[in-house]
Amino acid sequence: MKFPQYTLKRNLGLVFVVGLGAGLASTGCVQTTVQEVRQADTQIGTGESIVILSRKHKTQGETEDDFVTCVSDSVNSGAGALPILSEREFVDATFPWFEPRTAPLNMEDLATVINRPLIARRIDDIGVRYLVWIEGTTERTDESGSLNCTFFSGGIPACFGFLSWESGSNYEAAVWDVERGMTVGTLSSEAAGTSFVPAVVVPIPVIARVREKACANMSDQIKTFIHPDLPSLRAPEG
Amino acid sequence: MRGRCGWFGVGAHRARGRIVAAGASLRNGPRALGPLRGTLALAFATMLGGCQGGASITVDATVPSPLVDPIRASMGVYFDDSLLNYVHEEELEDYGAYRIDIGASQGPVFARVFNAMFEDLVPVEPADQEQSDEGATTDADAPAPIRFVGTDGSSPVVDGIIAPSIVEVQFAIPDQTGGDFYEVWISYKLALLDGGGNNFGEFPLIGYGKANERNFGQLGQQTPALHEATTWALRDAAAELSFRFRDQVEVQKWLSAIGVEP
Repeated sequence: MKFPQYTLKRNLGLVFVVGLGAGLASTGCVQTTVQEVRQADTQIGTGESIVILSRKHKTQGETEDDFVTCVSDSVNSGAGALPILSEREFVDATFPWFEPRTAPLNMEDLATVINRPLIARRIDDIGVRYLVWIEGTTERTDESGSLNCTFFSGGIPACFGFLSWESGSNYEAAVWDVERGMTVGTLSSEAAGTSFVPAVVVPIPVIARVREKACANMSDQIKTFIHPDLPSLRAPEG
Repeated sequence: MRGRCGWFGVGAHRARGRIVAAGASLRNGPRALGPLRGTLALAFATMLGGCQGGASITVDATVPSPLVDPIRASMGVYFDDSLLNYVHEEELEDYGAYRIDIGASQGPVFARVFNAMFEDLVPVEPADQEQSDEGATTDADAPAPIRFVGTDGSSPVVDGIIAPSIVEVQFAIPDQTGGDFYEVWISYKLALLDGGGNNFGEFPLIGYGKANERNFGQLGQQTPALHEATTWALRDAAAELSFRFRDQVEVQKWLSAIGVEP
C-alpha cells in the first residue's frame, strides 16, 4: 500500500525537523561571573545618553558586532532602561575621530580629542555622557565527538553520533565619563558552558548560550552601574 | 586549509567532502519526503553555495563629512576616469575569482572629504593639449605645468589642485591568513599641484579595512564580508586624508606660499 508508506516517510521527516527544533529550543547550563570596579560616582541627566562601542584596532580577538548590538539593545530596554546612541550613529557623528585607527585608547587621548572645539560641540549636540568600551570575545574550545548525517534510501534524513564542545565568553567594559574626562569604572562578564548534540536518527542539540548570558549580565551591570539606585535587575541564580 | 563551510556550522568534523557527499545523496534521493524535500534541498543548495569560492562586489558607499577645520583655500579637484571606474580583479589559486568594483565610491568619498577640508572646492579637468601649449614655459628641465580648466571650460582661480588616483588594491581572506578577518587595502596617490598647475608633491595614502568573519554567517559570507571590509578601507582612507593632509611637509610649504597658516 503506497499511501501509508508515504505517510510514514513524511512523518519521519517531520519528526526529524521537529526533534531538531525542540533540541534547538533547549539550552545547556551556563556558569557566569560578573565583577565591577567603581572609580567614581555616576549619574545620567535628561537628554544625556550612552554609547556602547567595541575596539576595532586589534588584529585578533575583535568583539563580535552582535554582542555590542545585544548589549546596546538590552541596556536600552526593560527595567532601568537607559538612553542609548548606537555605535554607528556615534562614529558617524564624530567622524573621523573614533575610527579603528584613530579612536582614543586612553583618557589622555580622549581629553585631547574632546577638547577640540568642533568635537566638543558635536558631542554636546548628540548628548553623549558615557562611552562604554567593550573588549572580549566568545570562544569555542574542546570540541569532541562526531556527528554524521545522511539520507537513507527513501529520502529519510538521519544523524548518528555525539558531539560536544565548551564555549567561554569573556568580556570587559571600561566606562568613560565624557563630561568629566575620566574613567568611572570597569565591568566584566564571564560565562562558560558545555553544549552537546546527541543524535540517534534525530539530532537533539542542547546549546549552552554563553554569549547571550554574558550579554544579559553585562547589560544589567551597565544599568546598575550608571543608576546605582536601581534595585538588582536579576534574581540570583540557584 | 580550514573548512569554510559546514553542516549546521557546529562540530568537530567540518569538511567540504562531506557536504558534497550529502548533496549527492540529496540529488539521488527519492521523492518520498513530500513537502519537506523541497525545503531540505534548498537548505543543502544554500550550504553548497556557501562552499563556492570567489566573490564579486560593487561598493557604492560614501563617508560622513569629517569634523575638521577647513583650510582657507580654494582647491581645484580632479577625478580622472581611471579612478572613477576602478575595478580590482584577481584570481586566487584554490579560492576562486574575485572582483571588487570601487569606482563608483571614489567621487562621492573624495568630494565629501575635500568639501570638509577646504573652504572652497572647484571641480577641474585638464585642458586639451592645444589649450595647454598656449603660454607654456620654455624651461626644458622643469616639467611643464598642467593647465586645468573648470568643467564648464572656464579658467578658475584656485590656490591649488589635488588629483587622487589608485595605485593598487589588495585583499586577503581568512582562508589565506588563518586569521578572523577579510581585509582590504587601497593604496592611493594624491598629486598636489599649485594654482598654476605645477606639481609640488604627492601624498601617499593607504586605506585599510577589515571585517570579522564572526560577524557573518557560515554560508555565503564572502560577498558581504568583503563589501564591509572595502567600505571600511574607504572610510579609513578618508579619515587618514582628513587627519594627515596638513602634516605633509609639501602641504605646509604650499600653505605658507599661499598665505595660509599651516
